[in-house]
Amino acid sequence: MTLTSRRHFAWVLFAIAAIVAWVVDYALRIELRRAEIVTGLTLFIVVVFLTLFNARKKLPFLPLLRASTWMQIHIYVGLLSCVLFGLHTGWRVPTGTFETTLAILFYLVAISGIVGLGISRWLPARLTVYGENVIFERIPALRATLRREVEEMVLESVGKAQSSAIADFYDLRLRNFFQGTRYMWYHVIGYRQPLLDLLSEVRGLERYLNAEEQAILAQIVERIHARDDLDFQKARQGVLKGWLFIHIPLTYSMLIAAMVHGVLAWRLS
Amino acid sequence: MPEEAQSIKRPQRWDVPFWNESAEFEIAPMTEEEVDRLLQIPLFRQMDPTRFPKNTSLRDILLNDGRVRKFRKGDIIVRQGDYGNSAFIVLSGTARVVLDKLSDRVTGRQEPVRKSAFSAFAQWWQNPKLPEVRHLGVKSPEREAGHTDIIARTDPAVFVQDMNVIIKDKRTVDLPAGELFGEIAALSRTARTTTVIAGAESEMLEIRWQGLREIRLHAPEFKDYVDRLYRDHSLKNHLRETPMFSHLNDETLARVAAVTEFLTFGKFEWYATFTKIRETTAPDRIQKEPVVAQEGHYPNGVYLIRSGFARLSETFNNGERTVSYLGRGQIFGFEEVALNWMKKSDLPFQRTLRAVGYVDVLFVPTPVIEQHVLPGMPESELPKPQPVSIDKRSQRRSHDKIPPEMMEFIVERRFINGTATMIIDMDRCTRCDDCVRACAATHNNNPRFLRHGPIEDHFMIANACMHCQDPVCMIGCPTGAIHRDSTHGRVVINDLTCIGCATCANSCPYDNIQMVTARSTDGRPYYDQATNQPIQKAAKCDLCSTQITGPACANACPHDALVRMDMRNVDKLADWLKQR
Repeated sequence: MTLTSRRHFAWVLFAIAAIVAWVVDYALRIELRRAEIVTGLTLFIVVVFLTLFNARKKLPFLPLLRASTWMQIHIYVGLLSCVLFGLHTGWRVPTGTFETTLAILFYLVAISGIVGLGISRWLPARLTVYGENVIFERIPALRATLRREVEEMVLESVGKAQSSAIADFYDLRLRNFFQGTRYMWYHVIGYRQPLLDLLSEVRGLERYLNAEEQAILAQIVERIHARDDLDFQKARQGVLKGWLFIHIPLTYSMLIAAMVHGVLAWRLS
Repeated sequence: MPEEAQSIKRPQRWDVPFWNESAEFEIAPMTEEEVDRLLQIPLFRQMDPTRFPKNTSLRDILLNDGRVRKFRKGDIIVRQGDYGNSAFIVLSGTARVVLDKLSDRVTGRQEPVRKSAFSAFAQWWQNPKLPEVRHLGVKSPEREAGHTDIIARTDPAVFVQDMNVIIKDKRTVDLPAGELFGEIAALSRTARTTTVIAGAESEMLEIRWQGLREIRLHAPEFKDYVDRLYRDHSLKNHLRETPMFSHLNDETLARVAAVTEFLTFGKFEWYATFTKIRETTAPDRIQKEPVVAQEGHYPNGVYLIRSGFARLSETFNNGERTVSYLGRGQIFGFEEVALNWMKKSDLPFQRTLRAVGYVDVLFVPTPVIEQHVLPGMPESELPKPQPVSIDKRSQRRSHDKIPPEMMEFIVERRFINGTATMIIDMDRCTRCDDCVRACAATHNNNPRFLRHGPIEDHFMIANACMHCQDPVCMIGCPTGAIHRDSTHGRVVINDLTCIGCATCANSCPYDNIQMVTARSTDGRPYYDQATNQPIQKAAKCDLCSTQITGPACANACPHDALVRMDMRNVDKLADWLKQR
């Protein structure tokens, strides 16, 4: 099955499941039966099932279907859970404080999931076309190497040219660039102005340097580009990894709240 | 300063002699008296022992790389399709070579032993927390077996009941005492082409391929003998398996075999210069590859790839464009020869065939094809009368199959060698490293590949063992620790016999083998008693051969970004690339 036909197949299954859920809910309501118990319980089971994807990732040595199959199921069952949530709440925002909190948690989980899916589909291709593909965990070491190289060049420029022009510029402008982790969100959205500003300042400095200093500055510019590439990778890979740190804790919070909600609903009914 | 408890003797070649290598079956130790007896058989008697170096004398080779095995009548000695790491010499009795295929049920062919569901699950809590933990001081092969591959080297000595009945309709050849067999699979790192059964109570000398290679290197008469055996025993089979010769009867096939030439292009040790060649420009690289057949030249015959790889290229502007690659069993030049015969034309070769590193070919001259092969050939096997023009074909190739840049990339970097190449679609890969974590979880918490490697377009060939068709990493291994598993041909390392010499890691042209420092359960490295240097072991992907899931990396990828691809299957590769 190709990726496209698999997607079509999944959408058809999702549509059938959503229609069935809607029909059952409608049938229960016109019979004046408590449809919210059925949809609520189903929704809870579905959400518990969705969390099993994370458990499967922890058990790669067991034959529990491919993770990509789980991912597809997770996406479409996740969408189905939104339909079930709508049916359960009657497509209204709940009124009580606890129910509102629970609803907000659900919205946040759903939104973080959809955003995460979008990020997972959109960002990787943008990572491939810009900068070297470095392993996330190696970035700090590579950054440190660049910084050390630039500092050696700065010292070399002082010795060779008997001038502190590059050293002063480094102290004023480049030290933070090579030490800090600035402009991370700019990299995520692809905003390049801070780099262009810095390069403009470098060009401004260049005209006041002698030939030896200019050669050293050219090498520093190479490191600026390399550092910018690393920051780009760090920022975007960080987002790709980081969104799960929102999605997963929110999911567990929602599950706990949903259990309390279920117990309260049962005791008060 | 290393502590006393961590200090062990560095493993050496022949620490584990061949007779003591397998825990699967009992074999008597090789003794000096036994070696004296073996040296009297004609094959060894004619060799000049002074030609062998002192540290690898013929006597030492037999003592350490040889073992004498006894077989009952009907025992299977080697099994068709298994990957062999040794050859056999008949000492007494007979070896019956079954030329036709026997069913897996008859030959007792079984999947290698994998972990049970419970022991697979138990990895969750049993995996050591520290990296590269070994039990080097403990003599317990079974314990290690789960993490090495020794269990995959199962004894093929399965008894064939009612042998006479089973092989009644099969073509067989009896090999008497003194004959050698199994040497081709052992030396070329390929699968056994026939099943061999003990025809009577028999005694065989089995020689590890490392020893066989040494003998071949230092005894030229042995090399001649092996080549002669190939022509006498295997060539006809090889030709028979090729579709273009399948309609020939035995007599005609023998005539074709008699005039078939063995040609070799490139260097067997191609990996030694590969890194240097990779640094040159693309036109230089292609020009350095030896030409087997040249586009535009008279088609003087048909070339059959026997082993290795060849690049198929055609003139494009001022350069050469790679259109495909050929591997074992594939043919070049037949279309041109056949069309010329059918149309009485003189169409030259339409493409150039070059050795990618090293290629062994069988050459059948045009007159032989015209006289013996084409006249009786079924019409369906003959090429279409209208030859496709070069321009048309070029367009079709680039659009239908693999994009030209990708084709150049995989051929020039010789990724075509891989049978389980790890390809990652970087446009889908979210760098979540679930693949790396899955690999670690299934290998004692040690990831056996690096999610890093060369990229073409948006496809990365990661640094993971490709389980090459031609695994050059095995060439220099002095102990045979790196070997093919017998059933699937996966290249695996026996941790028990690995001496940490790094020959395989240095030979791997793709940098896919890492040398790691062995540690005890408390995390302290083992040290060599003599040199105080840490004990190293070679480590690489084993394609999760002992796991019940298959390759964990591919199974763990949630985004369908990672695949293990057999590069011999160009159509499958093209389909996968096309979907992305």
